[in-house]
This record gives sequence, C-alpha cells and structure tokens, in this order.
Amino acid sequence: MNQVGSVGLIAALAFAAFAVVAGAVGGRFRSLRVTRSAEHATLGFFAMITLAVVALEYMILTNDFHNAYVAEHSNRDLLTYYKVAALWAGQEGSLLFWTWLLSIYGALVVWLNRRKNRQLMPYVVSVLMGTGAFFSLLVFFVANPFQELTLATPAGQQAFAPPDGNGLNPLLQYHPMVIHPPMLYLGYVGMVVPFAFAMAALITRQLGDNWIRTTRRWTMVPWMLLGCGILLGGNWAYAVLGWGGYWGWDPVENASLLPWLSGTAFLHSVMIQEKRGMMKVWNVVLVILTFFLSIFGTFLTRSGIVSSVHAFAQSGIGPFFAVFIAIILVFSLSLLFLRLDHLKSENKLDSMVSRESGFLFNNWILLALVFAVFWGTLFPVISKAVQNVTVTVGAPFFNKVAIPMGLLLLLLTGAGPLLAWRKTSFQSLKRNFTLPLIVALVAGVALLVEGVRDLYAWMTFFLSAFVAVCVLGEFWKGARTRMRTAGENFAQAIYNLTMRNTRRYGGYVVHLGIVLLFIGFAGQAFKAETKGLVQEGDLLRVKNYLLRCEALTTGDSPNYEYTRALFSVTKNGRAFASMHPERRFYKASQQPTSYVAIHPTLSEDLYVVLAGMDPDTGKGIVQVFVNPLVMWVWIGGVVTLLGTLLALVPSRVEREMAELRSAQELAVEANDGF
Amino acid sequence: MGSKWAGGLLIGALCVASTAHAENSGKPTLDSVSKQVMCMCGGCVAPLNQCPHLDCGTKAEMKAFIQKEISEGKSETLILQDLTQRYGVGVLTAPPAKGFNLAVWILPGVGLMIGLAGVVVIVRRWRGQPSARAAPAAPPMDPKVLAAVEEEMKSARLG
Repeated sequence: MNQVGSVGLIAALAFAAFAVVAGAVGGRFRSLRVTRSAEHATLGFFAMITLAVVALEYMILTNDFHNAYVAEHSNRDLLTYYKVAALWAGQEGSLLFWTWLLSIYGALVVWLNRRKNRQLMPYVVSVLMGTGAFFSLLVFFVANPFQELTLATPAGQQAFAPPDGNGLNPLLQYHPMVIHPPMLYLGYVGMVVPFAFAMAALITRQLGDNWIRTTRRWTMVPWMLLGCGILLGGNWAYAVLGWGGYWGWDPVENASLLPWLSGTAFLHSVMIQEKRGMMKVWNVVLVILTFFLSIFGTFLTRSGIVSSVHAFAQSGIGPFFAVFIAIILVFSLSLLFLRLDHLKSENKLDSMVSRESGFLFNNWILLALVFAVFWGTLFPVISKAVQNVTVTVGAPFFNKVAIPMGLLLLLLTGAGPLLAWRKTSFQSLKRNFTLPLIVALVAGVALLVEGVRDLYAWMTFFLSAFVAVCVLGEFWKGARTRMRTAGENFAQAIYNLTMRNTRRYGGYVVHLGIVLLFIGFAGQAFKAETKGLVQEGDLLRVKNYLLRCEALTTGDSPNYEYTRALFSVTKNGRAFASMHPERRFYKASQQPTSYVAIHPTLSEDLYVVLAGMDPDTGKGIVQVFVNPLVMWVWIGGVVTLLGTLLALVPSRVEREMAELRSAQELAVEANDGF
Repeated sequence: MGSKWAGGLLIGALCVASTAHAENSGKPTLDSVSKQVMCMCGGCVAPLNQCPHLDCGTKAEMKAFIQKEISEGKSETLILQDLTQRYGVGVLTAPPAKGFNLAVWILPGVGLMIGLAGVVVIVRRWRGQPSARAAPAAPPMDPKVLAAVEEEMKSARLG
C-alpha cells in the first residue's frame, strides 16, 4: 500500500504540473482544447490524491504498522472513527489531507464552471494547480506519509512492524475532533478559489462584475466552514482541555481567526463594488490577504515557529512555506500593481452617512483587528529575533486590544444595514434608530438595576439589544409591507420576503447569530469557580449549586483506564443533575487526560473536572466552574451557519439573472472561438 | 449634524469604556495570579490555570510557589515580579509595557489610527472625484409595491 500511495502522489504531482502549464498556455493562446486538457488534469490530480488518501486510510484501518505514520498515530483498540481521523492527526497525514481537500475544490471548480467563466478558467486552473503542485511536492519529498518502518540489523535495514501503534493523542479523542479539522481545513483550503479567480481576472483584465460575483460565493462557503471549524475547535477546548473556557488566544486559534476576519471584511466590501463600482483595488487586496493568511495559518500550525497547545504536528517544513508565501505575495501584488489602471472607482461617495461609509468603517475595524492579532501572535518570534528574549503574548494582551474593537464591530452590525446606499437622511436615521436606542437604553438600565457592573459585559448586552432590534425591525418592516400589499399572513410574508432576497435576509440572520455569540462571550464576566479534594460523601459548593461526591470508582476499557467521580448535584436545594467526570489514562500513548462533565443550560453550564488524585490523601482533585451563557456561543454559531446557508441559496431573481448571464457569456465566447 | 453627534457619542462611549475598564484589583488569589502566568513545563504552552496536563510537575510547583507568596501577604505585582525573577519574562502571559516590548502594546493602536487616516484619505478622494459613469437606471417597480412604499412614506411623514 505504501507503493500505491507514493504512485498516487507522484502521479498527482505530474497532473498538477501539467495543469499549471496547460492552463497558462490555453489562456494565452485562447485554445479550448489545451484549456480542457488542463481541466482534465485537475480531475486527474483529484483522482490520484484520492488514491493516496485511500491507501493511507486503508493502512490505518487495517492496523498496518509497517507504515511509520500508522504506527505513530493509531493503535489496534482505537475506535474506528478515530482511526479515520488519524489521517489528519500528524504532520504528514494532515498535509496529505490538505492536498486532498484542495483537489476536491479544484474538481468542483472545474465541474461547476464547465460552461461559464470560460475566459477566466485557464488561469484559475493554473493557480489552483500551482498551489496543488506545491503541496504535492511537500507531501512527496518532505513530509511523506508512505514511509516504511525499518530496523537496523546486522544484515542491513529491514522492514519492521511493531505489535501495536503508539495511538492517537488522547486530547484528540473527542467526537467533534473528528469533524473540527476537516471543517477548519475546508475553510483554509477553500480560500484558494477566490484567490485563483482574482488572479485570473487580473491576468485577463476581466475585472468587471463577473469575477466578483463568482468569488463572493466561493468565499462565503470556506468562510462559513472556517467559522464552523473555529467554533468546533472552541467546543473541543471547552470539553477536553478542562480549564473551563473555549478561547485562549493561542497562536493556532489566532491563525484560524485571521483569514476569517479578513474574509468577513471582503464579504462586506464586495457589496460596494457590486452596487457602486467602488473599492475595486481594496477587494483584490482583501482576497490576496485572506489567501495569504490561510497559508500563513497552515504554516503557523505546521512549522512550530510559535509554540501552541494545539500544535499536534510540527516539523521543519517552515522554510518551504516561507518561500511559497513569498512567491504568492510577489506574484499577486505585482499583478495587482500592473492592473491598477483597470481598477478605478466608477462612482464617488455622496455622503459620510451612507451604507458605503458603514462598510468602510467595518473594514477599518476588521483590518485593525487582523493587524493586532497578527502582530500579537508573531511578537514572540520578533522579540526573540530582536532582543533574544522569549516573551509570551497571551490573553491579557488580546482581550485588551480585541474587546473594544469587537464592541465597535457589534455596533456596526446593527447600524450598518440600516444606512441607505449613497446618502442617509437625518429623518431616516431618526426613524430607524429611535426604537433600537430606546430598547437598548431600557435593557441597559434594567441590567444596572439587576446588578451588572462589568463594563464590557454591560456594553455587550446594551449593544446586543440595539442590534437585535435593528435587525428584527428590518424583518418586521418588510413583512408588514408584504402583508398589506399581497394580503399574506405574517409567516407567509416573512418566508416570501426572505426567499425573494436570500442574500440580504440571510445576512441579517448572520448578524443575529453574531449578536448571540457576543452575548455568550459576555457571560465570561460572571464566571464562578471552586476547587477541592473529595472522597465519597464530601460536599463542594459553588454559587447556588451543591455537589455531593457519591463515589470514586476505577475501571478499564480496551483503550484506556479511568477513575470516575460520581456527583449528585442540587441547585437551590432541589435535585438538579448527576455528573460523572473522569480521569483517563490512555494505554497506547501512556498519557493521562480528563473527561469533563458538563451540564449545559441556556442560562449557565455546570462544568466539573476531575483533575487527578492527590498522592498524599488519595482524594480526587476536583474543579467546578459555573460558566454563564456559554450555550449562546454554540447557538449563535448555529444561527450564523444557517444565515450563511440562507444567503447562499439563490433567490428567484438571482437565478433568472444567472441564466441570462450564462447564455450571454456562452454567445460571446462562441463568437471569440474560445 | 445630529446624527454625527449621536454616532460620535456612541463611539466615544466605547473608547472611554475600553480605557476605563480596569482589572479587578482586590487581594491576589491563586486563580487571579495563575491567569497571568504561563505554565513553564515547556510542553503545554498554556497559562498556568489552563495547563491541560494532569500530571504536570511544573504546574504543581508553580502553584505551590504562588500559594506560599499569597500566604506571606505579598501583592499581585510583587508575586508576578518574583515569578519573573525565577522563570524569566516569558512567564508572563503578556509582556510588560517597557523597552522593546512597548511595541507590542503601541502598534495595534498605531495601526488603528493609520487605518483611520487611510479611511479619511479614501473618503476625501471619493468625495472629490466625479462619477465615472452615470448611475444605472433603476428597474421598473411593481405598482403595488410602489403604492405601498408611498403609503409608508406618507405615514412616516405624518407620524
């Protein structure tokens, strides 16, 4: 199987190299035949990388410990779905997985554009496969997962297979971990598609509306998946690391946030180009930046240049990535510079109080946040290089910098959509903002009366009320008009309103999701915690919860041994829950980990960790947290996901326009002989 | 003008809030200090209160040290100083704002201001330049919707 995988990799590399050249030649000489061959090579690349992935998965699932990667990252008693996930548990496998996802995106782009964007496609294929070639090279020559384990014997190196593997890192043995990395990677990798379209548009000088319309959709999908990946990662940290939180501003977490933030900026500023023909250069810059940050994120995770609690796979691939990033930046920025004349703004700004300026301010804050997070993440490396002192830049720095900026963004989330294009009159401002401000003020006063004194939390709730009323007001106003004009009932009116402009109302749902996320974040200000040593019959109290240790038991499963504490919990004197946190010791990797018991409710989570056993007393070391509003982080994430999906559904008008455009494009290209 | 004032006030309030927000400055606790220092075992790369390794000897040693300092009645600042002396400046979750490390604190603000200046320049250029093309004609509106919009506007004016 190692040979099969290696053949797959080398064939994929050949396909990618051919597609890069054929795409460029097909585009330069406007040859449909050559372009088609490049597209077929992209499909071939997908097939060959799939072959390599299947070969590795087969070896993992059949416990073929002749393979060094399988021996290092799997073991016999590992559950099947964790075995599948072992594909991306280590450096070599995760790079292969990255390349496979890229090949899937490549195949999808070729398939979905077989009848459209024909002038752009040769170069799109070239750029996609250029990236594919880089990753195939890396996987084949630098981080090859198809290495045989060998043993030095007097007769020379001999193939060797240990009786069992080292197993998967225990911290990765958690259900959402099976989908968290694929989501995150789909997000990172997907950003190559908008980059490819942007480069193709610059090369062909086709810098009208078409590339931007295509790119917006191809950005929304990875943006959504990256967001899901980030949230699932937060969920993993919350449930597995056992410190009671879900976001620690770790470098790897930051690396995933950066392209998401710049992607968010692009998804907003792209609307100005579509509606008003402005910010053309800026949009190309944002696409380049987002792709750069995606590659940078992969580099940061994989190279080990910064230390991270999430760095499960590191090696000396840093210099290769540095060269690749340099090539991307030089190529794309040079191309942008050469095409500046084609990217002039078509309109002027009519007023400072307008949708355009709202988007401009949104981009300003988002990019300032990108810079702050990027700078804070890299500062330890810079400090080491400049003053030869290792410093840490952690949560205190990022919280101080990011929270105020986040609050400004939250404000714009509500105010921006209510501003009119071109110019917003004072009357319109008064009409749109009076009710949200009144509701927010009432909520603010109520919170003060209730004893909320944390300033950031108070501001978050105040702004959340403001934004929620702004956004829900838009639904209400639209539905009321439909109810009057079309005689629909409220539910019909909301449905038809949304489906007629899925993009606009999907965007509003996303904004509501963001509000819920912020409400969840604000809950951190009211966290409570206690610690104690317990044995059977001992009590622990935190806020209005009383936990009684009913038993401390030990047990064994094929994969791990465990100590389990059983707690009966009462809240305000009434029976509330039964919780059983565990401390596990994984046999294959010889590593301990904790299995946190969480009882989630809409208002707060009760979170119990069995951190270990006290060697002196033999009692269990238990930490209990009360984490308010955490559930709203996950709900907010789901609402944001649903809103994005809704915005991706083409509205009826959009579908008709797309069909018309496609027919026109085909006619033009037929005339061109392309 | 009124809208500018309202917007300015809101943004001003946010900025004041961000600077006025201060950390809880009560007596130090194991948790309040643990949040501000890293576990120095070299394996976990996490703040002391977040170290996921259950059998981490360094974590236990550091916590014992902090607990001892608290019981001696030392302030949070003094405990952090002692920890820095013992483990180096890398023990702090955020570097102190002096010397070269000042850059990490200042540059995000500088970036924000440069960004704002950029926005102002762009807005001025946009406002100054003539429109390169005429605004596209709006598509014809459904008479029913038009009537509803007019009615809405009338009621808004009356209201």
